[in-house]
Amino acid sequence: MSLFWIVIRQLAEIEAMATSKKVITKEEWEKKLKDVKIRKEDMNKLVMNFLVTEGYVDAAEKFRLESGTEPDIDLATITDRMAVKKAVQSGNVEDAIEKVNDLNPEILDTNPQLFFHLQQQRLIELIRNGKVEEALEFAQEELAPRGEENQSFLEELEKTVALLAFEDVSNCPVGELLDISQRLKTASEVNAAILTSQSHEKDPKLPSLLKMLIWAQNQLDEKAAYPRINDLSTAKLEDPAV
Amino acid sequence: MTNNNSGSKNEEEVGSYFLEVARGAHKKKEEEMEEDTEDEESPTELNTINSSGGFLVVSTDKMSVKYTSVNLHGHDVGVVQANKPAPVKRLVYYFEIYVKDSGAKGQIAIGFTTDNFKMRRQPGWEPHSCGYHGDDGLLYRGQGKGEAFGPTYTANDIVGAGINYASHEFFFTKNGTVVGTVYNDVKGSLFPTIAVHSQNEEVHVNFGQKPFAFDLEDFEKQERMRQQMTVEKISLPPNVSHGIVRSYLLHYGYEETLNSFDMASKTTVPPVHIAQENGFDEQDIMYALNERKTLRQLIKNGEIDAALGKLHDWYPQIVQDDKSATCFLLHCQKFIELVRVGALEEAVKYGRIQLAKFFGLAGFEDFVQDCVALLAYEQPRESSVGYLLEDSQREVVADAVNAMILSMNPNLKDSHGCLQSGLERLLRQLTACCLERRSLNGDQGEAFYLHRVLNIGKKC
Repeated sequence: MSLFWIVIRQLAEIEAMATSKKVITKEEWEKKLKDVKIRKEDMNKLVMNFLVTEGYVDAAEKFRLESGTEPDIDLATITDRMAVKKAVQSGNVEDAIEKVNDLNPEILDTNPQLFFHLQQQRLIELIRNGKVEEALEFAQEELAPRGEENQSFLEELEKTVALLAFEDVSNCPVGELLDISQRLKTASEVNAAILTSQSHEKDPKLPSLLKMLIWAQNQLDEKAAYPRINDLSTAKLEDPAV
Repeated sequence: MTNNNSGSKNEEEVGSYFLEVARGAHKKKEEEMEEDTEDEESPTELNTINSSGGFLVVSTDKMSVKYTSVNLHGHDVGVVQANKPAPVKRLVYYFEIYVKDSGAKGQIAIGFTTDNFKMRRQPGWEPHSCGYHGDDGLLYRGQGKGEAFGPTYTANDIVGAGINYASHEFFFTKNGTVVGTVYNDVKGSLFPTIAVHSQNEEVHVNFGQKPFAFDLEDFEKQERMRQQMTVEKISLPPNVSHGIVRSYLLHYGYEETLNSFDMASKTTVPPVHIAQENGFDEQDIMYALNERKTLRQLIKNGEIDAALGKLHDWYPQIVQDDKSATCFLLHCQKFIELVRVGALEEAVKYGRIQLAKFFGLAGFEDFVQDCVALLAYEQPRESSVGYLLEDSQREVVADAVNAMILSMNPNLKDSHGCLQSGLERLLRQLTACCLERRSLNGDQGEAFYLHRVLNIGKKC
């Protein structure tokens, strides 16, 4: 057993030398990790940013009390934003549009694509509920004029109206429009637009940092063999993969 | 050692860890400054000592240069370098020249050269150098021949040269627009360099003291966005951020936040499912959640006596050694709370009983001195030890107690785990990877600082 590992190690070292990669042992790396300064309050800010951006308003409020971290946005606006998101998620698109306009009428005025997607979602909901006549009327009066302004809107409109041509939508090539994922897509688009209108970034910072960690490790792999973290959820330091 | 139970080594480790955190707190401001400049000098003026004297004259302010003789051959170029090499620990370095007079032939050049450059030759004519020449618009980089690159430039033009450390490229600009980029394969420090080579040619240099014609900030922003796009393409396992936040809340005992978070996670569409395969680690940080929360709240409210009382009841091992780092931090905090409410006499009394014994003890002395120094100021909050009165100081003490309790877990799998949350380990790894990569890359490029990332995009 031990001989086996010695051989493996030697092979690894030879390989490392051949590619002139620097080998950093776990002890050396742990020392470097120890020298890094990460402030508690910065981590708290990162967590708060996640809670706020993802719309965990109650948790954000509790976190403010428990950790003393101030949110970077007025918490009341999260409640409004989440109400809009929820309305779209549950198919109440008209309600959602009204709420967005209450929040800030400029959001839809300055964002024709978002407005079109909301109207499209409304059409989808009408078709879902079997309101064929209403759906046709809505498509012709509200959506078609917008399609004339924009070719890609027209294509999307035609795709959506195609839903009406199928009795059994489960076999329909555009059936995915009726899927819950379409609602979530529209909901997250509105969510992002509201955040942007509040001069807040539309995505939380944490996932970007995690991606950056994966990227940074991959980059460093080219130059060195060092202890990686392969499982983000446990953050366990692996032995150098030599 | 007064403490000889099995956990004592662990306790000591936890205690000293947070003692260091507490002592490091006041260095915060200085560190932030360091991060911004990284302690690197930038070029400020032209180097008059090594310039090719005889052919050119550098103005007394060392910001402009003029060719005063008549050029006869290729070895009488008037070359001058900046007084410092271009700084490297950043995303981009950039400088500009303004061509005041193109002289007899307009043989002006801008570029970068190394320390031992032959100061009678155009940048780009010799190895380890690079130059964009005004008379032919060609780029020269170490070979005798230039390559097609950009437009020519002459009197009244503003021309810039930069190094993009992220893409390992030189880039040049003319009147505020990038004319081209070229791979930078020169090793070693690079000095901003300008050259003039015919009678009356005159060039003024701008190392950033005056606004550039080129929008450097926007260029940097675009470059960062390009990097960001590459990074954003990487995919993450589903809900991994959610799980990391959750374990952070568990680790530090933010129980009420956790409850709200879990409640909300159940009702979102679609509900968030956290993989349970890492149950092992979760066991470690689930331990005594409610007790940890209670103690955190007490410390956060400044009720140190109550916190000490609870600790006596629940975890007598933690407080039995009155000289342990945890007790020390709690006693100091009690002292700080007394100063906060202006009970100075009581503070003095408390200090004599509880803090005096720590004077002269290595590791404790600096901090106890800072605490006692609070008494010296009428406005302690404004003083150099004012950091002690900030909320973050309470948080450090609460974190120390929290970690101490986590280390009491008889089923503890990973003794390191009680010091740092998973999130902290990930952020340390990220920072270390970026630093290591930079140091293997000739120290070129930006480092990663969480603090900087958090402040980007705020009110832009």
